Formats: sequence, C-alpha cells, structure tokens
Amino acid sequence: MRKIFCCFGLYKNIKRALAAVMAIGFVSSVLFVPDKANAKSSDDVVTLRVCSWEEYIDEGDWDEDELIELPDADIIGDNSLVDDFTEWYFETYGKRVNVEYSCFGTNEELYNMLTIGDVYDLVCPSEYMFMKLMTEGKLVPYSDEFFDESVEENYYAKGVSPFIKKAFEENEINGEKWNRYAAGYMWGVTGFLYNPEVVSKEEVSSWKFMTDSDYKRQITIKDNVRDSLFGAVGAIKSDLLTSEAFVNSDDYHERLFEEMNDVSDETFASALAFLKEAGNNVYSFETDSGKADMITGKVVANMQWSGDAVYAMDQAEEDDCYLAFQAPMEATNLYFDAWTMLKAGIGDDREKQHAAEAFVNFLSMPENAVRNMYYIGYTSVISGGESNIIPDYIDWAFGAEEDEEDVSYYDLSYFFTEDEGSEDYVLCVPTEQLDRQLGAQYPSEEVINRSAIMKCFDEETAVKANQMWINVRCFNLKDIPVWAFVFGGIIIVGVIFVLIINKKQK
Amino acid sequence: MKTTFSRKQLAIPYSLFLIIFVILPLLVIGFYALTDSTGRFTLSNFLNFFTDTNTLGTLFYSFALAFATTAVCLLIAYPTAYFLASSKWKFKSVIVMIFVMPMWINFTLRITAMKEILNAIEGNLAFYPFLNSVIGMSYDFLPFMILPIYTTLTKLDRSLLEAAKDLGAKDMTAFLKITLPLSLPGIVSGVSMVFLPAMTNYVVLDMLYNSTYIMGSLIGSYFSAYDWHNGSMIALVLLLIICVFTLLSNGDAEDANARGGALL
Repeated sequence: MRKIFCCFGLYKNIKRALAAVMAIGFVSSVLFVPDKANAKSSDDVVTLRVCSWEEYIDEGDWDEDELIELPDADIIGDNSLVDDFTEWYFETYGKRVNVEYSCFGTNEELYNMLTIGDVYDLVCPSEYMFMKLMTEGKLVPYSDEFFDESVEENYYAKGVSPFIKKAFEENEINGEKWNRYAAGYMWGVTGFLYNPEVVSKEEVSSWKFMTDSDYKRQITIKDNVRDSLFGAVGAIKSDLLTSEAFVNSDDYHERLFEEMNDVSDETFASALAFLKEAGNNVYSFETDSGKADMITGKVVANMQWSGDAVYAMDQAEEDDCYLAFQAPMEATNLYFDAWTMLKAGIGDDREKQHAAEAFVNFLSMPENAVRNMYYIGYTSVISGGESNIIPDYIDWAFGAEEDEEDVSYYDLSYFFTEDEGSEDYVLCVPTEQLDRQLGAQYPSEEVINRSAIMKCFDEETAVKANQMWINVRCFNLKDIPVWAFVFGGIIIVGVIFVLIINKKQK
Repeated sequence: MKTTFSRKQLAIPYSLFLIIFVILPLLVIGFYALTDSTGRFTLSNFLNFFTDTNTLGTLFYSFALAFATTAVCLLIAYPTAYFLASSKWKFKSVIVMIFVMPMWINFTLRITAMKEILNAIEGNLAFYPFLNSVIGMSYDFLPFMILPIYTTLTKLDRSLLEAAKDLGAKDMTAFLKITLPLSLPGIVSGVSMVFLPAMTNYVVLDMLYNSTYIMGSLIGSYFSAYDWHNGSMIALVLLLIICVFTLLSNGDAEDANARGGALL
C-alpha cells in the first residue's frame, strides 16, 4: 500500500489547511472572475458534486514499481480516479463532466453539512446513515437502466458481488429495499487490530478484551457511540452469543441480529457500565490516531474497521512490524458504505443523474476497484462478474504456490459466486495471511456467518444512545468528592473578591 | 457624483467582519439555545444545563483543568517576567522573543511534538491524562501570561521602589506593597487570556489522549447527535460566564492587553 504520510493526524491537518486555502482561492476566483468561469460551465458541461470520506479514493501518482501485473490487465494509478472518470465519460458519452470532489469526516458530519444546506449530488454514507436519509425522503432512486446488465457500461450491475447484492436486496427500511437508493462502494467488518507478539489471538477473540486489565492503558477503542455500543453489547452478552445452543440454533442469524440490535433500557444500562469500565482501562477513544499508535507501538490492540486494519498492517510491514486482525467470536459488525444520490442536488436533472450513475459504474470497473483497494485498504463490493481481475488481484496480493510451506486453502466462494460447491474461488495462501491482511480484507465465510448489521437508530433511541455516550465520557457531578467542592468554592469566591477589591481601589 | 471620504468609512471592513462572523453567529446560537426541535421558544435547554449532572460535572472538570493550567502558567510566568523586566541584560529582548516564538507555530503541531516528548518521559501517556492536559495547555498558553505581566512590570515606576528602600522597606516588603499590586492588571489580563480558552480547548485533550469531555467536546457531542439546541445553550451559558469574568476584570486588563498585543 502506498505510504502517504507516517503521521495520519498531521496529514489530515495539513490537508484541512490546504482545503481551506483552496476554498479561499475558489471563493475569490468566483468573486473576481465571474464571466469566463460561469459561461463555460453552464451550457455543455455537467457539474457533479461528489462528497465522500477522506482518503477513500485512489488519488493516483503511483510509483512505477507499484504496477500490478495481472493476467488480464496491468493496473497502475497515474492520475486520480476522478480525473480518469472525466476523461472516460467524455470518451464514452461525448459529454464533458466536471467533478467537484469534497470530503467529510464522519456520517454525522455529512448529515449536519446537508442540514445546513450544503448541496451535493452524490454522497457515500454508511448503511445506517443512508437508511436515515431514505426514511427522510432525501434520496433519488437509481434508474432502471442502471441495473440493466446487458449494457456494457453498467459495471456495477454486472460486477457487484452476489453476497453484497443479496444484502442490498434483503435489507430494507420502511418497506423500501436498500438497492433502490444505494449502490455499494466499500464494505467490511469490525474487530481488533493487534500486535501478535504481545497479545494472543484468543484474548482478542472476545469483545470483553476492552476491559482486560492485563493490558491497562494499552488498548484503544472507537470514539463513536455505534461501534463502541456494538462491542459493549457483544461483551455483555458474550456467554449467550458464544453458547453452542445459540450458535447452532436454526434461526441463528435472526437471533444474532436481534441480540446485537437490542436497544432496551437494561441493555443500555449494562453497556454504559461496561463502557465506563472500558473507558478507565483503555488508552484512549480514537477515530484516526489508532492506526499510527499501533504502528509506533504505543498501544498493543486497537478496535478497528477491517479496511483501516489492512492499511495499518501494510504500513507497519514497511517498518518490519507485523500486526494481525481478529473479528471477535460473539459477533462482528458488518458495514457498508454506498453511493446515494441526493434530491437536493440531482432533482429532476436527468443529465446529472446519468453522470452520477456513470461515476458509480466507473468506480465499479474491476480495474478501478483494484486501484481503490490497493490505495485505501478497504474492500470493494465488486467481485467483477465475468471478469477475473478481482480474484486475480487477490491471488497477486496474497497467493502462494502450493508446494510452499505453511499454506492454507481459503474459500471465498460466498463473495464471488452463487454456485454452491464451486471451487473456482478457493485460493492457496500463506497460513499467516488468514490472520493478516487477507483475513481482514476478505473475511472468511466463518466470520461473515457471525456478522450482524446494525440498524439505524430511530429518533428516540438516538437520543438515548447519545445520552449514554455522554454518560460514558463526562465527568459526573456525583463523582466529585466534597473536598473538591469546598476547595473550588473557596477559589471562586477568592478570585471574585480580589477582582472586586482591585476595582474599588482604582 | 462626488464622494467624500471620511475616517468613519475606514471602519466599514471591520464592521462587516464583525456582523458576518460575530454578531450573526451569536444570534444563531441564541436562537437555537432558546428553541426546541420544533422551533418553539423554550427554556428547557437552560434548565437542562443546570440540572444535568454530566454538564455540571464537565463544567467542574473544565474549571479544575483551567485553574490548574492558569496556576502553572502564573507560577512560571511571573518570576520569568519579573526577572526579564528587572534585569539590565543586553539580550533580554532576545529572551522575550524566545518565549514568544512558539506562538508563530500552529498549536496542533506544537502539541504533536510535545506528545512525543511526554511519551518518551512517561512511557505511556494514558496514565496521567489530567497532568498531561495541564502540561500541554500550559505550554500552549504560557506566552499569553508572560507578555502582559512583562509589559506592566517594564512600565513600573522604579522611583517608587527606590523611595520604599529609602524609607527602610526590605526587598520583600517592597515587592509585596509596590511591585505586586501594580502588576495586578497584567496578572488579571494574563489570567483571563489563559483561563477562559483553557476551559474549551478540547483539541489539546484529544491529542494527548485525555478521554474525559470538557465543555468544548461536550458541545461537539451534542452537535454530532444533531441536538443543536442543547449544544447552543451550553455555548451561550459559557459565553455568559466569560462575560461576567470580563466585566469584573475590565479596565486595567484592557490596557495591559493592548500593550501585550503590541509586543506580539
């Protein structure tokens, strides 16, 4: 994977500063050269406003030695995918498109941006956020042509993995299926990224690891209520979720889904107690710094999304440090990020919608899916359909010769095909890879089997969850000892006294 | 048409800035703070502030953090400023510059660097979150404390001290009766420039792995849960607290601020 900057936080800050400078530049250019710029964009160019996660698309500029040589294609990222898209669109449809690409940091940030009145045509929220947008009627459905597999350019319809397709068909909210409004982009599971030299695989196999006092102040967990809550629920229900009777029950998946989406007051109360304990045990709550802290060895384990785990493992390997990833046995959170079109931006503009759908299709071309996966570490929803590029890429990245030592056979049929018993997608890989990048980027069927999607909170639950999170993070008045009150009171009275005396003296 | 230029027109750019970036946002905060999600007027957000034990606990924690930071800054800044102001050393302006220098660098970069130093000393930062936050913030705000004190001390009328000595006052007495009271405006100005920002500067805490919320992060958490009303109310109450402090310390602090600012 590409080494962009060793210090993630720093990089983001620099990027933000650059974005600010660019925004100022943009504003001033709009203010001072209005004639030329507008004339050009109004008539023959379609403007597509895209908003996605930070560092979530191939930005090009690969070194020559990063060329990915596959049997069917040689893949390298010279230009950014956004630039390549504008070129491809012109070549394919004879029309110019101008992509205004911007980024958001969290789903909540995106939602607030939309509420304030920022207008985008195409955004890439996670499943719970696009469900929220669906229920609020803010999305435009994909056109029927988009799903027509006979059209050559419909790379999404042709290439989306059967596993993802099924998930997007089966899941619905308020009677509407996901796939009407959302086209998948990346997906993954949650678990622990860990340093196998210090922590054993068994230890990180349970969400209870968060409160393991053997690793006091050496674990980081996620600084958002959904991921932490999922882990907490897994931990407090650990005994049930891992019991044989439960795992072997006929309706295991339904029951797992119900248990992991339990938002009853009792569960929230236990989760609060658990997370308070975890908060006193962990190194920190983080969203971004965990990867860097794993690589530098500040922490030994880190609750992580599989995509970021892959990225961190790749980075660590460059410094000869080998990390591993494990999805706990109780359950793992299966998440999807998907492209959705916004009513506020697209409206009735057919040309714009066409460009937006073409953008999704372009990113779904197997070559481009590979470029993204190589660049950002996350897993594309694309399996490639007829094309062999994606399986070839996995083989290129992780494959081993059968006569090598310590190899295992890894079955990814669930992702690539609907044919039961197909052996086309059984890879020969080094055994160690099962716990490393391969296991994180393409979780085994066993992991998928214990995965659960987390529902979108309704308004009442969202308030309850936020309150719980504030309870976890805040210093509560009841925790303050009496002496501190007395001391604080004396100081405040003293300061006010000094100020008043000082004023009178003048 | 003949346009006449008056000095008042010079105020236009700043007035515009003030309206767009200060007054309008304040009105928006006020509006959200006093309404509920349906847009109706309510005082429940205000009551929430004073009944929610988390908010009050966070206020307390922020106060404690800000107080410790201010105390540390004052303890370091006063002797430094006193020494610099009273020494006749040629290079003292260079020393003053060295203290001001960190302010030329963005504070997140400074804290990133400090994080590594602390990490090397402590081994594991997460064991001392409160201490680290105080160190980080003191490092951040120290120049704001030194400069106003330094400027009031340099302006101090030396003849007062000479007179005190002539009348037989010991050094300590002269300091307590003359230097300290006369430098009080500088101290008040320094304190208000350190104490109030320290209450909300959650970025330093985040970067130094202090997981406890302070007022700034609490407001942020309400905003990210789309509860703009309670978040705005917390901001508004904080603003009122700041106003009270500023009014109480008004007058002499302004003077020192102006001179401190001139040095920057």
